[in-house]
Amino acid sequence: MFFASKDEPQPYDLSNFSVLVVEDSHSMMELLSAMLKSFGVGEILVCNSAKEAQDLLTITQARVQSRHISGVDVVLTDWLMPGGSGLELINWVRAHNDEKIKFLPIIVISGYTSEKVIAMARDSGANEALVKPLSGKSLAQRITSVIEQPRAFLQTPNYFGPDRRRHETPIKFEDRRVIQPEEFTVHND
Amino acid sequence: MTRSKKKKGFEIFKLTNRLRQRLSPNHKDDPGFVDDKAIEKADKLIELLCERFSEDMGGDLSVLSEKWLEMRDMPNSPEREEKAQEVFTIAHEIKDISAQCGYSILAYFAENLRDYITHTDLSMEAQRVIIQACVDSITVVHKQGLKDDGGPLADELKAALKKAIEKFS
Repeated sequence: MFFASKDEPQPYDLSNFSVLVVEDSHSMMELLSAMLKSFGVGEILVCNSAKEAQDLLTITQARVQSRHISGVDVVLTDWLMPGGSGLELINWVRAHNDEKIKFLPIIVISGYTSEKVIAMARDSGANEALVKPLSGKSLAQRITSVIEQPRAFLQTPNYFGPDRRRHETPIKFEDRRVIQPEEFTVHND
Repeated sequence: MTRSKKKKGFEIFKLTNRLRQRLSPNHKDDPGFVDDKAIEKADKLIELLCERFSEDMGGDLSVLSEKWLEMRDMPNSPEREEKAQEVFTIAHEIKDISAQCGYSILAYFAENLRDYITHTDLSMEAQRVIIQACVDSITVVHKQGLKDDGGPLADELKAALKKAIEKFS
């Protein structure tokens, strides 16, 4: 009989996870929900517009505070939707006063392969972007990334969201950043 | 949260990894992964969706053409807007699923159709020409079973649509 070593990575148990899927296409919403279910995600909430997602997050968060239940852990949102885009949802989330909403990991799904959309999603504060066609592997990679590589959030006059630099690369030349990392006010929770 | 004063307007929030806390005790500290079997299952779901899409596309296209024919010669009215919304929904659905299933050329025409169907600043004549070009292109792409970028035939259809858009919008 084979026993896995304690140090060997183990498959996730996502049964305590709650994922909000925001997708206006009925078939895509069904597909994403079924894919997440196959990954073992315990709770999958669905909305078909950014506006509906904002209402649901507000209500869920109010229930979390009053009944000590867990809230949404990850948001998976389409980019272009009638009735409020993914961009509007990200802006709303990142500007929220409630820290449980403000810092939510957001994975954007886009039908566009354009780098412009990916850059817009990143610059508006999304954690990850996923371009159609989706695959089981690509969705699993983005979920793994938000679990394993959470990035600190930065607030600057022009940006609020996860640190857009994914790696600390040593700078070989003169550092042209106007603000040095040590000049940031640091908040630890 | 603890705070330390530095340059105003520039802040870093170093957060506890809440997602890790929501995993089972095995993963509180150790890295993990999504099970390969679960990924295979997810891929199977995509395969099934695409098979179904391929079979149902003919039906969707008939409904799309029918709705467009109904609205095409209607005068501007709430009923016409309602029909436009129905066409928009079908085109949007076709765009999303075809992009997912590797029919990128179909997604291209469905996206144009979706974008122009609700263009209220276009004249009726312009809308008729552009939407008709989109519907015709989708029909040809489907009948020819064009996948990915669709090759030379798709390029011709794209050029014709572009010409119509340039002339009428």
